[in-house]
Amino acid sequence: MQPSQGVLLAVLALPFLAAAVTPLLYRVVGERVAYFAAAVAAGAFALIASQFGTHGTVSLQWIPALDVSLALYVDGLSLLLGLIVSGVGVLIFTYSGAYMHDEPGKAKYYTTLLVFMGAMLGVAFAADLLALFVFWELTSVSSFILIGHYQDQDDSQYAARKAMFITVAGGLFMLVGFLLLYTVSGDVLGEATFRLVGTEGALIENAGAMQEGLRSAGLFVPVVVLIGIGAAAKSAQVPLHIWLPNAMEAPTPVSAFLHSATMVKAGVYLVGRFRPLLGTPEWELFFATLGLLTMTVAAILAVAADDIKELLAYSTASHLGLIIAGFGLQSVYGAETGAFHILNHALFKAALFLVAGIVAHEAGTRLLSELGGLWRALPITAAVAAIAALGMAGLPPFNGFYSKELLFEATYHAAEHAGGLWWLLPAVAVFGSIFTFLYSIRFLSLFAGEKPEAIEHVHSPPMAMLAPPVLLATLAGIVGLGGVSATAGIHLGPLEHFIERVVEAVGASEPHFGYHLPTSLTPAAGMSAITIVVGAVTYPFYGRIAAGVQRLIAIDPIRPNFYYDGLVSWLDRTTIVSGTVHTGRLRTYATWFFLAVAGLAIAGYSGAGVVFPAISSLAAEPAMVIVLAVAVVAALAVTRAPSHIAGVLTLSILGFMVAIFYILASAPDLALTQLVIETLVLVLFLLILDHLPEFYGEVDRIRALRDGAVSAVVGITVFLTVLVSTAATPGKPIAQYFIERAGVPAEHGSTLLDFGGGGNIVNVILVDFRAFDTMGEISVIAMAALSVITLIAMRERGETQ
Amino acid sequence: MSADPRPTDSDTTIIAQTSTRVVVPIILLVAIALLLQGHNLPGGGFIAGVLTVTGFALIYIIYGLRYVEQGLLHRTVVPRSLPAGDDESQAGPPISKEFGEIFTTGLALAAGSGLVAMAFDLPFLSQGVLFVEGLPLYGHVEFASALAFDLGVYLVVVGGLLTILAVVGAE
Repeated sequence: MQPSQGVLLAVLALPFLAAAVTPLLYRVVGERVAYFAAAVAAGAFALIASQFGTHGTVSLQWIPALDVSLALYVDGLSLLLGLIVSGVGVLIFTYSGAYMHDEPGKAKYYTTLLVFMGAMLGVAFAADLLALFVFWELTSVSSFILIGHYQDQDDSQYAARKAMFITVAGGLFMLVGFLLLYTVSGDVLGEATFRLVGTEGALIENAGAMQEGLRSAGLFVPVVVLIGIGAAAKSAQVPLHIWLPNAMEAPTPVSAFLHSATMVKAGVYLVGRFRPLLGTPEWELFFATLGLLTMTVAAILAVAADDIKELLAYSTASHLGLIIAGFGLQSVYGAETGAFHILNHALFKAALFLVAGIVAHEAGTRLLSELGGLWRALPITAAVAAIAALGMAGLPPFNGFYSKELLFEATYHAAEHAGGLWWLLPAVAVFGSIFTFLYSIRFLSLFAGEKPEAIEHVHSPPMAMLAPPVLLATLAGIVGLGGVSATAGIHLGPLEHFIERVVEAVGASEPHFGYHLPTSLTPAAGMSAITIVVGAVTYPFYGRIAAGVQRLIAIDPIRPNFYYDGLVSWLDRTTIVSGTVHTGRLRTYATWFFLAVAGLAIAGYSGAGVVFPAISSLAAEPAMVIVLAVAVVAALAVTRAPSHIAGVLTLSILGFMVAIFYILASAPDLALTQLVIETLVLVLFLLILDHLPEFYGEVDRIRALRDGAVSAVVGITVFLTVLVSTAATPGKPIAQYFIERAGVPAEHGSTLLDFGGGGNIVNVILVDFRAFDTMGEISVIAMAALSVITLIAMRERGETQ
Repeated sequence: MSADPRPTDSDTTIIAQTSTRVVVPIILLVAIALLLQGHNLPGGGFIAGVLTVTGFALIYIIYGLRYVEQGLLHRTVVPRSLPAGDDESQAGPPISKEFGEIFTTGLALAAGSGLVAMAFDLPFLSQGVLFVEGLPLYGHVEFASALAFDLGVYLVVVGGLLTILAVVGAE
């Protein structure tokens, strides 16, 4: 069934429109705007749910001239992500209503969160590489704003910059990959296209031909790696995972929403989306390695973490690695792993973050070493944490167990087929899972035992903070129980069918998805058993393992953060940039700017093979010759002027000569404008001359030569530009149309629409034929005035506030 | 505050002051004429706007910023040489606020005149002309909808340039 265009556009438009009115609404209803935002998310959720069961593309022209259309595509994968984003969104907004009670900047917070939700839905439904990229970067920008929510804290600023730097840079790698795909698609499909999926000429529909084309161009591996870097940056894969733990500076609902359930899923979504297009042995090697490495490294790091949010951050990276490894493996089990774990992880990890938020909010600390025995004060929270954490640990019959089984099965399958070094995959998967088990139990332990003395009375959380995690844990529990009942023969039909469609969307043909507890000793069941047994045996030594890991990560050269911080602080210290380009002197900027523009223009001309027209005749009227000669003399005189006053007056001679030239060339409007502007400029100069030194300083010869050279380059570029642009004569000149249509026709009624109805063609062009250009120009004037106000009149304000 | 509109913070000559008084009204009148006749004769919103600003710039230079703010806009202005930001009495909105409103209005007018065309199912910024016969004194008059757009251009230019002038002049 075809999805409805109206509904999909509404899904995309709704969050953005809501974000636009949020600041206004906040003035009226205050912090209750959280429930408005939750209602918007619920509306989006309902709209997406109404598209359940549809499949196909809707398309809307966006930039027809560039053949860019806003195409939206619905299949299992996009529905899954869309439902997670909007569904978790409802819960997060509700939770925020209570959590953000005492926090600053609520209007900005809700606006940004809504924009993020819209962008994320855009990522989910975009069928077009360019639209996907735009929404992708928009999520990075909104994440930047949300991480830096506490603007006056250095940690928060550092974290926001780091996240922005890594995810946006990764996005640029991805863009290069997209452009390579676009170029190759031109050779392979006859017509270059950005359309990823859904139509006949789309990339995925011609996956085989595209792979051939990429290989013959030698671009297959580069494209896989480029897209992989984009996904890895966004989904915090090793070694680009370093931004995610810092991102925990954001308010906890943001961590739960962006940095566990949704935004970081954009990367794995991308891998899943491209799997049918690029899925090959190279793909398998790259993503299975990347995913399993991340899964293990991040799980080890999580064990060393003492802050519960940091633990959850590393654990998120680890589970994203699991999903990526799943999507990397080419067997159907791999596809099932990724598809099913996206859902499971969103359910248990969002719940755990919300639990962490409750703990921090009510107990006043986030450090594992200071917490314990919370089950008495927070019994419901403890139950939620139990269901979610055991799911995270991969313990049967909780939901995470089934997707982890699938991963074991997929790695075993791959190893069995390829043999050799591929046996490392199941080994690494088990090894990483042991650490996952350890930190999951450690997280749960903060509810067990006796409460330390240091913790004061713990309040029970408000309803709005408790309901969302309870709902998530209930859903996670139902998914888990579905596996138990399936063992007995009663399947959770709609869920299994839905996951089946997701599996289909990531490139498996005719999938039959079902999950249940293992009934016989399969290799995967054995691997699960090893994980749990080894985990349980080593748990008593948790403290020693954590200390060992901490000693290991204290070694600088193996820490990615060491390289990041080193690079950033080197850029801060170095004078390579600040000494040559960014000097703070206007003349340096002018020099670089003019030279760059001239260089680009000339490079453009030579690149386009522009032929400069021969100058055929130089005949001009004597009056014009005199006027221009005076102008040239004035221009030369400006450079020799002894003082500012003399310089300005000489310069205005030049301007007035140009005005006279316009009169001679029968352009009274231009002449009038030139005269008035020249007068105004003269007046302005006289206004500020008072405050400048009366005479120029001494100019040394080298600087004079350099400035002269810059002037010459700029002058030559402008001269060439004028020559080239005036030499081109279009086949159908438009002037005749203006002449015919500008005036009042001989016969006319009392109103006139087809004609300009004015005697002054220049003005009719300005306000009628080309009114849109004029509109743009006056907007520029308004913007210039605004920037003058903000740069000069308001420059004191920002720093004092 | 003294009601004396005479210049206090400039040292210009009496000749300059007198001729400014004579010239500025003429400049403004010419500017309005240029704006209105722009559709059929040389002129238009942009030129008229720049000319108006030139008139105001003359007043600025000859009579000083304070004269414009006190005498023309009836505002209390504390000399800017005082240290800023010590209490509320100093912190009235800067003069550029009025000018800001001018160019905002202009931009809204120009865009709004374009939207009117869309209400008649024509493309954005389509212009039309209405001919009216038999008005007293004028007889035949041509109303161009472009005049509204041109007025918007005029206001943006006046507001924008005056803002720049005021802010830079205040430095």
